[in-house]
Amino acid sequence: MQLLGIWVAAFLTLCIYSFLYKDNPLYRFAEHLFVGISVGYGIVLSIHQGFLPLAWKPFWEAITFQDTSGFWVIIPIAFGLLFFARLSPRHTWLIRYPIAILIGYGSGIAIPNVLRANIFEQTRGTLEPFGKIARETVAANGNIIPPLTPFEIVGAILMVIGVVCTLTYFFFSVEHRGPIKGLSKVGIAFLMIGFGSAFGNTVMGRVALLIQRMDFLMFDWIASIGTIFSSIF
Amino acid sequence: MLTRIVNMDRRYVFILVALAVIIPMLFSVSLPVSISQPTQNLYDYIENLPAGSTIMLAFDYGPSSLAELNPMARAILIQCFRNDIKVIALTLYADGTTLASTLIKEVAEEAQAVDGEDYVFLGFRPGATQVILGMGTEIAGVFETDLSGKPLSEIPIMKNIVNYDQIDLLVDLASSATPDAWIIYANVQYGLKIGAGVTGVMISQMFPYLQTGQLVGLMSGILGAAEYENLVDVPDKGMQWINVESFVHLLIVLLVVIGNIAYLIQREREES
Amino acid sequence: MKRQIPLALCFLFGVVMIFTQFSPHPVSKSIYERVISGALIIGPFALVLATITLIQTHINRIQRRTEHWGYSFVVFAGLITMVAIGVPFGPENPVFVWLYTNVQVPMDATMFSLLAFFIASAAYRAFRARSTEATLLLVTALIVMLGNVPVGDLIWNTILSWTGFENQASAARGWILDNPNLSARRGIILGVSLGVISQSIRIILGIERSYLGGGD
Repeated sequence: MQLLGIWVAAFLTLCIYSFLYKDNPLYRFAEHLFVGISVGYGIVLSIHQGFLPLAWKPFWEAITFQDTSGFWVIIPIAFGLLFFARLSPRHTWLIRYPIAILIGYGSGIAIPNVLRANIFEQTRGTLEPFGKIARETVAANGNIIPPLTPFEIVGAILMVIGVVCTLTYFFFSVEHRGPIKGLSKVGIAFLMIGFGSAFGNTVMGRVALLIQRMDFLMFDWIASIGTIFSSIF
Repeated sequence: MLTRIVNMDRRYVFILVALAVIIPMLFSVSLPVSISQPTQNLYDYIENLPAGSTIMLAFDYGPSSLAELNPMARAILIQCFRNDIKVIALTLYADGTTLASTLIKEVAEEAQAVDGEDYVFLGFRPGATQVILGMGTEIAGVFETDLSGKPLSEIPIMKNIVNYDQIDLLVDLASSATPDAWIIYANVQYGLKIGAGVTGVMISQMFPYLQTGQLVGLMSGILGAAEYENLVDVPDKGMQWINVESFVHLLIVLLVVIGNIAYLIQREREES
Repeated sequence: MKRQIPLALCFLFGVVMIFTQFSPHPVSKSIYERVISGALIIGPFALVLATITLIQTHINRIQRRTEHWGYSFVVFAGLITMVAIGVPFGPENPVFVWLYTNVQVPMDATMFSLLAFFIASAAYRAFRARSTEATLLLVTALIVMLGNVPVGDLIWNTILSWTGFENQASAARGWILDNPNLSARRGIILGVSLGVISQSIRIILGIERSYLGGGD
């Protein structure tokens, strides 16, 4: 069974790589099989790990009076069922109810947390190094951190310049002329360095995926050919 | 000649890339990897946890990212089992469920870790934000059972675990924006310490969180995996693949340089 | 009824979630926990709807005989097989796991690995130093690419050992990520977060209504 698995996996891998030459029926077969299998997998997981434990079980326990405290779950289940109104053109508008609840809930949750995690903390991170220029500080683990070195001070100043200039580039409420244009140009330079590093890292990520597949073909699949031959002869 | 070089059929480039992977693989090259600070920080943080501590390991990735994240997961699991740190694993990514389950069982078997005592795999629940927030109140309110259907109340490792207050660290192995969600909701709302291992695509965007301490450490793609394998002293796929990666990167750098030289010469000629 | 009630619900849930996060009162905490549990329950229904929509799309393709419509049968074959095994027997069933491991995993991993070829080809054909900004992007990418792999340090230590510094390829990569990259990313995070907060306020107050879709 394991050997069969390796051969099926190798066949499908090669089907997909055949696309590198040109689009062909083998690739299209694998592509569509992939969609079917992964959606099927998603359905099974959504039912077993989502719908059954989160919706069906409490609902069943409530209506069979095993756990009457859970009776309230009928309300979110009713709203959840309204998603299916999408399937009837006359009642499509009902889908707005669950969407409105999820969007309102998501927005309400996001405001204080995003404010704290991304605005306050990131601003603190930008300014904090300046508090360490002249004196020692104590880290969370109790270690004494010495004052910043000249190189680190330059880094801290550069960071403030980078953050302010990048934000200026995204500030569209005023026309980019004069000093604003200058700042936004510096912002573009920082953004280009950011995107360049993202590209360099993306290359590393994509190549790693290729290496993993080649590793499979060369060491699992080709090794399995050896196993087959040795079992025959 | 120049035009031919610039407009070379892309399939020749494909062949060069394939060869840059296959040839170094045949000759197992092994170059030393220097450890970056973010990886070292994550390793040190886990290493300094006392025996019996509990970490949460979120497998927030699917098969499309297993090349980068499976080696990281393996190395962290080995470190935890070796140091008697309990592991509560879960995923916010449906596609990652079986992948994570298989990997954990494999590493646990090698390390002779016991299901339910040294580790537990809770499985998957849809709705990332809700799951993260829900576990802040009560983990059992979101995951009543583990993946195999065993109630959490019957699992020894979960006996004294109610919510994030009893978790010493969460490590998010991620291929999408889940580290941001863990930081925004679990770290800010519940004070949960967070570390991450991410795919190459996401590395750059994690650095602001590292500097503020919102992330205690970071493993960066396959390089991070290789570094971590080095630190736990169990060289495996991460170390092998980062060496092969060297050759492909060299090839791509070379291609970019050749392409630019040809472009500059062409531009010079057109101008003159 | 069709627009006002959803707008009111959105406002109500938005405001309740903001206030309950600031109030430690037991009633407030209980409401907060209930709403989170409720949202957990509503979520899976959206997944089921998404699946039904995908199935409808492929049925339409077959009915209309669009290009490559025959492959939609392959989609159904894969989907039905997984559902027929996984739903009754669960996700830990060995056949289900076998199909996932030997069919889904290799295809998913391979599909994304194709990008390695295309990224190399695109880098060769389109990654040009046409302007100062493009040159900055290109040079950074090359430094990070070399700093990401051990051969980068090897080259530095072999060719530039006379400088007295070691492993500067990975050090340069680290500095780029930790300084100019960090600044740019922080600028983006701050900008996006301000956008998220203002958009959330507009949604809660009913100024932004695009999520309701068209119609009356």
